[in-house]
Amino acid sequence: MTAYLNQVRIIVWRDLTVELRSRERIAAMGGFAVLVAVLIYYAIDLTIVRPRDVAAGLIWMTILFSGMLGFGRAFAMDLEQDQLQGILLSPISRGAFYLGKTIANFALLTAVEALVFTVFGGFFNLSYGGTAWLIVAVVVATAGVAGLGTLLGAIAVHTRPSDSILPLLAFPLLIPLVIHAVMATGRLMAGRPPAEVGGNLRMLAAFAILFLAAGTVLFRYVVEE
Amino acid sequence: MQLTGLRRTGVLLAIPGIALVLLLHWQVFFWVPTEVTMGVIQRIYYVHVPSAWVAFMAFGIVAACSAAYLWLGDERLDMAAVSAAEGGVLFTTIVLLTGPLWARTAWGTWWTWEPRLTSTLLLWFIYVGYLLLRGATDSPQRGKRFAAVLGILGILDIPLIHLSVTWFRSLHPQAVVMRPEGPQADPSMVITLLTGLAAFTLLFFAIMTYRYALERLTVERSTAFAGTPAPSVAGGGA
Repeated sequence: MTAYLNQVRIIVWRDLTVELRSRERIAAMGGFAVLVAVLIYYAIDLTIVRPRDVAAGLIWMTILFSGMLGFGRAFAMDLEQDQLQGILLSPISRGAFYLGKTIANFALLTAVEALVFTVFGGFFNLSYGGTAWLIVAVVVATAGVAGLGTLLGAIAVHTRPSDSILPLLAFPLLIPLVIHAVMATGRLMAGRPPAEVGGNLRMLAAFAILFLAAGTVLFRYVVEE
Repeated sequence: MQLTGLRRTGVLLAIPGIALVLLLHWQVFFWVPTEVTMGVIQRIYYVHVPSAWVAFMAFGIVAACSAAYLWLGDERLDMAAVSAAEGGVLFTTIVLLTGPLWARTAWGTWWTWEPRLTSTLLLWFIYVGYLLLRGATDSPQRGKRFAAVLGILGILDIPLIHLSVTWFRSLHPQAVVMRPEGPQADPSMVITLLTGLAAFTLLFFAIMTYRYALERLTVERSTAFAGTPAPSVAGGGA
C-alpha cells in the first residue's frame, strides 16, 4: 500500500513539476477561461438577465471547456517525448499511474476554478454565500470531472482527431454530473441552506467514485501497447 | 460458426422478423382500437416502445461483449460488440425520431427536456462516440480496446444519468402494460405491443448476425491479402 501511494506521489510530483516549469497547460486553460468570461459578458444582455441567476451554469461551462483543453494535453507531452513508454516499462502500476495523473489534473483544474470563480465574481459582481459548502461541492464535482477526463484524455491522445474527439466522448457522460454541479453551486451561491443540496452532493460523490473506480480498473487497457 | 452458417442464421431470423413487421403494420393500422385520450397518434407507440427495448438490450450486449473482450481478448467478442452497437444506434435513432412525432401531438412540442428523452439522447451520443472511436485510431487493435472501454463506461453511467435527469419532474406516460397489477390496456393493444417486441427483437438479431458476418469477412479478406489484421469497417476513417 505504501509502495502504491509512493508511486502515485511520484507521478503527481512529476506532472506538477513539469507544469510549474513549462506553464503550458495552465496558461492555455486560464487564458481560455478568462476569455470565455469576457465573451459571456457580451453574449448576455445584462439589462434583461440578472447575472447571478445564470452564473452557476456559465461558470461550469467555462470550467468544463477549459478542462477539456487541459485533459487533452495531459498525455500529449508524455507521448511526444516518448516518456509514456518509459513509465509503462517502470515498476509503477497502471492504477497508480492513472491516479497520479488524475490528481495532477485535479490540482490543475482546481487552480483554474479558483481563477474562474474570481473572474466571474469580478466581472459580474457576484458574491459567494455559503463558501465552505460551495468548496465541498466544487471539489467533489472536480474529482469526477478529472477522473473521467484523465481516462478519456489517455484515449483521445492516441486518436487522429485527438483534440476534437475528447469533448464528444466526455460531454455525454459528464452532462448528468453538470446538472448536479450547477444546481448545488447555484443554490449555495444564492445563500440557500446546505441541506437543500444534500441530494446533489451525494450524486456528485457517486459520479466521482464511479469515474475514479472505472478509471483505475480500465486504464491499463487504454495504455496497453 | 462458419460464414454459411451465419448467413443461414441471419435468414432464419430475418424471415419471421419481416413477417411479424408486416403483421404489426396490419395490427397497428386496422386492428388495434384507437386510444381514448391521445387518439390516432398513440399508434406510434407500437414502434417506439419496441425500438427502445431493443436499443437497451443492444447496449447491454455491447457492454457484456466489451467486458468479455477486454478480459479474454477474443476477436469474435469485439465483432459481436460492434455489430450490437450499430444495431443499437439504429434503433435509438428510431426512438428519437418517433418520440418527437408523437410528442408534437400529445404534448404540443417536438422536444422537451423530459428525463427519458434526455437519457436516450445522451445514450445515443455515447454509442455514436463508440462507433467514431473505433475508426479514429491508427492501430485497429487500439481502437477496439478504446471502444470496449467506452462501451463499459456507457452502461455504468446509464443508471446515474437516469437518476440525474429524473431529478426534474417527469411527464412521460407511466407504464400501462408492465405493471404488478397486470396490464391496464385493452388486450389487443397488449398483443400488438408484443408483436412489435418480437418483430423488432428478431430483426435486431438478424441485422446483428449479418453485420457480424460482414465484420468477419472484412477481417478474413484483409488477413488473406495483406497478412495484417484489417481495420474495422465501423466508423470508417471518421
